[in-house]
Amino acid sequence: MKMPIQQANPDVGFQIAPMIDVVFVILVFFMALAAQIKIEQILQTKLPGRAESSASTEFVDEQILAVSEDGEISLNDEAYDSPQSRDLPQLTGTLLRLKESSDAAKSKLVVTLISNPDSPYYRTIDVLNALSVAGITNVTFTSDTEE
Amino acid sequence: MAGGGGGGDGEPEFQIAPMIDVLLVLLIFFMSIATTAVSRYDPTIELPVAPDANKKDDSEGELVFNIAWKVQTQTAVTTYEERVVNPEDVVPSMIAHKKANPKARVLVRSDALTPVRYISAVVAAAANAGISDVTFATLSR
Repeated sequence: MKMPIQQANPDVGFQIAPMIDVVFVILVFFMALAAQIKIEQILQTKLPGRAESSASTEFVDEQILAVSEDGEISLNDEAYDSPQSRDLPQLTGTLLRLKESSDAAKSKLVVTLISNPDSPYYRTIDVLNALSVAGITNVTFTSDTEE
Repeated sequence: MAGGGGGGDGEPEFQIAPMIDVLLVLLIFFMSIATTAVSRYDPTIELPVAPDANKKDDSEGELVFNIAWKVQTQTAVTTYEERVVNPEDVVPSMIAHKKANPKARVLVRSDALTPVRYISAVVAAAANAGISDVTFATLSR
């Protein structure tokens, strides 16, 4: 059987098959890229600042949380939980009670978090997480100043 | 798009046009997801875990600091706007951002093992720039 002889410049119309191939490749690329994305969350803090006010200043209930170099956590100089504990149940319970009592007294609860400069960052995040569980939003983040 | 006749007896044929429609919608969907993870987020950083952190609503006015902890050299590398910086040196740039957008806030993305002194340097720079909103990026698990 004779094969038809191809023309030198055949008028090729729009080819759908290669377009679908390319679109599929791009789709797979973006799907693979999207699968690697980790969804991040945030813990918020508010730094102290100067603000002029015409209204009278309300007195706040301030608590001091400290993180030592070895990861030990203390609230108003009283140690809570072991340095290995990540979910900090004792501290969380105490913060929940503090929040309840300050809400009952209609006073503003402010927590100042002081971290040792050599303490690991994740330990500060553990404390911020416990504060988030307790619903305490007025958190000030500070660090020990070095000599 | 061209539609089939919808005859009762005819064998249903494979329609290429609706398939391309669906394919393009999927493509746009995955492109929009992928483009949210822009290069200012350093993917090599291992964020600390905080199961009860808040969901991030938007990225408006976000000034992202990536702090990578190098275990071998025991040093941290702080990057801001895709360049290695000393946090104190970028205070003027942060002040300009704050003037342009009063909602500007600092987002700290740091390795979990980084000593707090490097995070404090970024927080101090934010304070010097007059930015009081400082947020810390975490993972849920």
